[in-house]
Amino acid sequence: MMFCITPRRACQRTLKRISKLNEIMSKKPSPQPRKDVQKPAVSPQRRNRRAGAEGHPKASGSGLRLAAAKVPVHVVFFALTWLWAAWYYGSVFHVSREYSFWVADLRIMEFVLSQPYGFLRYIGRAMLQLYQYPWLGGLFMALILTAGSWLTGYCMRLRPAWRAIQYLPALFYMAVVTWHGLDIFVEARTGFIFGIPLLALDVLCIWAVIIRSFSKKPAPAFIRVPQDETPWQNRLQLLVIVAAMAAIIGFDQWQRPYVRVICRLMDMEYKQDWVGIQKLARANATMSNRPMACAYAIALVQTDQVGERLYDIRLDYDSLHVHGVDGEHNNASILYVPEGNYYGGFLESSQHACMEQMVMGGPTSRLLKLQVKCALMRNEWALAEKYLALLRRVPFEGAFVKKYGPMVRRNDLIEADREMALIRLTEPIHDSFENQYQQPLFMGYNLMLVEGRSRNALINSLCVCLYTKLMPQFVERLEPLVGTTPPSIIMDGIMLAENKNPGLMQHFSGFNYRQPQLQSFLQATQPYMKDRPGHAYELFPKYKGYYPYYYFFGNLKATKKGYTSLSSSNSGVN
Amino acid sequence: MRQHTLYIIAYFALLIIVGCQPKAKVPSQFAETKTEVDIYPDYKEVVVPPNIAPLNFICRDSAATAYVAQLRGGGQELLAAAAKNGTVQMDSTQWRALLTASKGSDISVDIYAKRPDGWVHFIPYKFSVAEEPIDAFISYRLIEPGYELYRQLGIYQRNLTTFDEVPVYENNRQYSDGENHCINCHNFRSGSTESMLFHVRANHGGTIIVQNGKAHKIQLKDSTIITSGVYPSWHPTENLVAFSTNKTGQAFHLYYPEKIEVLDEKSDLLLYDVTKNEVSHIIRTSDDLETFPCWSPDGRTLYYCTAKRNYLLDTSLPDSTYTQQLLMKFDSIRYNLMSISFDPKSRRFGRPVMEVDAVAEDKSISVPRVSPDGRYILYTKGNYGQFHIWHTSSDLWVKDIQTGDCYPLSEANSPDVDSFHSWSSNSRWFAFSSRRMDANYTRLFLAYFDKDGKAHKPFVIPQEDPEWNVLLLKSYNVPELSKDAVGISMQELRQCIYDTEAENATYKVNPSAIVDVDATSGASPKKPVDGTTGASPKKTE
Repeated sequence: MMFCITPRRACQRTLKRISKLNEIMSKKPSPQPRKDVQKPAVSPQRRNRRAGAEGHPKASGSGLRLAAAKVPVHVVFFALTWLWAAWYYGSVFHVSREYSFWVADLRIMEFVLSQPYGFLRYIGRAMLQLYQYPWLGGLFMALILTAGSWLTGYCMRLRPAWRAIQYLPALFYMAVVTWHGLDIFVEARTGFIFGIPLLALDVLCIWAVIIRSFSKKPAPAFIRVPQDETPWQNRLQLLVIVAAMAAIIGFDQWQRPYVRVICRLMDMEYKQDWVGIQKLARANATMSNRPMACAYAIALVQTDQVGERLYDIRLDYDSLHVHGVDGEHNNASILYVPEGNYYGGFLESSQHACMEQMVMGGPTSRLLKLQVKCALMRNEWALAEKYLALLRRVPFEGAFVKKYGPMVRRNDLIEADREMALIRLTEPIHDSFENQYQQPLFMGYNLMLVEGRSRNALINSLCVCLYTKLMPQFVERLEPLVGTTPPSIIMDGIMLAENKNPGLMQHFSGFNYRQPQLQSFLQATQPYMKDRPGHAYELFPKYKGYYPYYYFFGNLKATKKGYTSLSSSNSGVN
Repeated sequence: MRQHTLYIIAYFALLIIVGCQPKAKVPSQFAETKTEVDIYPDYKEVVVPPNIAPLNFICRDSAATAYVAQLRGGGQELLAAAAKNGTVQMDSTQWRALLTASKGSDISVDIYAKRPDGWVHFIPYKFSVAEEPIDAFISYRLIEPGYELYRQLGIYQRNLTTFDEVPVYENNRQYSDGENHCINCHNFRSGSTESMLFHVRANHGGTIIVQNGKAHKIQLKDSTIITSGVYPSWHPTENLVAFSTNKTGQAFHLYYPEKIEVLDEKSDLLLYDVTKNEVSHIIRTSDDLETFPCWSPDGRTLYYCTAKRNYLLDTSLPDSTYTQQLLMKFDSIRYNLMSISFDPKSRRFGRPVMEVDAVAEDKSISVPRVSPDGRYILYTKGNYGQFHIWHTSSDLWVKDIQTGDCYPLSEANSPDVDSFHSWSSNSRWFAFSSRRMDANYTRLFLAYFDKDGKAHKPFVIPQEDPEWNVLLLKSYNVPELSKDAVGISMQELRQCIYDTEAENATYKVNPSAIVDVDATSGASPKKPVDGTTGASPKKTE
């Protein structure tokens, strides 16, 4: 027999029962109160309902009230998922959006639509655009996951005791996303980030409609406190959710701690927040990976500090869980080479790197924006307009178009842009070919720089020589700095080169306290010199920011501490 | 009843669609302006074939909210309207009627724009309709502009009389180490798709030959052949194909207006007999770089380009350094246009003859194509090199075979790259690729070539949505005009490529082959090479 109870009437009935129960408890304190309470023979459903009623705030004293309190688990799940999707992992999804080109025009999106599950990817990419604002994207993500969980519970007709199961698919999805880490966007499958939950939600909706049509089973509460659960059943669900989320976050912190940091750095790079990049990189100084090192170096170059603070972070490069479009493990060079070339002044090489990525994974907003900047700086106006025309169709890219659109055919505006003006200073003077240099080009070229456009170009070149520890090349390039006080890192390099180049230091000034500092460093680290890779990590906090430490202990083939096993690390000096 | 409901819904849907389209009506009141309308693409003062698809265009006027285009010619009128985005799309039936009526005369175009203060009328422009039609089909490869990596690409065929584009063949859409392959250098015999070929590189590699509706895969491999067949040219009457075989490399500029340099370290010419599946050398030299073969329409002359290489090399250094050495002197490699006679009966070649001495004027020639009437050789001329598709100095030139005069097609050329061209079978039209729109992405242009050997202002191939030329992130590569559509299906080509092994062509010594001759001057004795062992008088590899 079907019946319906309005919430108000149910509440009144529950209150009556509670007041009766309170009367019994206050008049006849029973030695076995539980038995008394449980005495009436009631059906399990009714017992559940009663237990639910006991959870009402007005039901009993504070201790009992706490023990019997129930919460709307879907609401809690929604809130936690939103926090995860917006606050915790929002930066990752935000950068994924940059890698997830989407326009409404199906002809332009043919490269996605022609892939397996093309339409799913297309819809998924469209939804991912909301992550321009992580709180907004996170809101939709949380809504989809929560609605999916709710419908899972409904479709599976889960009993209250097993109701925690309904959250497992969503939690599994979150775990899979965390497991993939940077791969969720590097592998060019960004359409699945929203596509899979959306597809699951669609299937569940259809399933639920079928159930509703044939069995007339009422839908469970979504926002209200569930009536048919015991407090323990309620708490079990909460426990499962909280434990699973803690495990997911714990795994992320333990195995993929670099993912959020890299994404936040990339986001700051798009926003040209050079100070923010430096702060974040230094706050994670022991974390070492190439994308982070590149972003940090770019920020230093942009703030003219590369000769002072490059070694504030560890530069040993633990291997990352990153795979290319081909599924092969790589060192994440696609995350930083186009930007590295651009900020290094190698505009054609940046265009080259962008194009290679566009060929392999299709266009992305990030690459198109970089292409616009390169085209503007190379005065390729029509090309810049072409990419701007595409970006104009991408949701939320209006600000970029508004900023860079007016620069077309306006060299004066380009020269007035601080970022671009700085890049101009390090452009090559003469032509040559990329394949004459080691990769990445922004390093290889600077190693062989013979003529530069500015002091900035020289400092960059000297810093690259020091970074690669190629002291002869470093010494060769010092001449323009003779008679000056070079930046501190270069001074340290000069002192280290003095051994093989006696008298070198005489040409520069400012070494006053640096010599004793170097002596004391060499003395203190003497015991560790026999096993430098083995002691690099433990010595880093003590000598953070000090070039001689890097020279002797940094960026060696293998260090003994890393997020993944060092045997799999393919890093080295490069 | 149900059917009636459907009709009613369809009727209202049609009403909504029609109602949403801007109405084409010449405004009764307007002000004259002294400015020309800014349209994209530039279709002003061009000559178009009478069978071309509608030249849809975009009007660009920042203040306008609506446009009306009025096209008049041969007593016909066509009205089209555009909303704020300015896209004027014309009705194809009316367009066809207009072109048919205007054959051999001009069509005038009046554009009206609705500005906040009322309608304005721009200075009218016109374009001409030629008497001669263009071959109805054009095939091309769509690929991202020349970078090292490739992924999804294909050869497509466009019907120029409509907007229909169909894939002739597309490689694998999804990345797969075992399936990835590149396709290039498609070519037809004398503008007919009955005989066609293209190459497949990497996985499933080989040359696909299509004849009589059947495809088969062959491989031109021999120890004497540098790589395999590269740039092809079908013989017009015999079942033969001339190929170049090239060892090609490319490098990326760091600070240069041009982005890429593609050069050959070595190259020779081959002759492939399709019926016998035999391959032989036409020219095999160590010092000269021969490339881009092209048969004359009578099949009695083979044109090609050649450059001297060794004077740029320090031959005391290992062979492995040659590419790098040539790269350092990339702007000193220059090609001449040569020809060599051929007797189709005996299949013997004559002596190389200088057709255009470009080196003498510090220029370089590539991609010769003879007009089907046999009168003109159309080629590209740039400052250096042979891969002019990346050389901004590259322009289209012709040599009048009757008079020997060489001159640029100034009306067709642009300050940017103009390269790779194909004749229409009536010799009155040619298609070519150009980077003039944005200096990076090649687009296809069609130009009228009149009886006096003069080219007229070219126009980009029309698109249903003219903005597609901006939005498409691929280049049009190797345009080839043809009279008919490709008959073989993509499925059949796929089967041939995926399911069959390439049959290796038998190498045969050609007694008339030129071996280690000074191909630039033609002065040197013939020395046949042993094609079986690959032994030759001079080391070539």
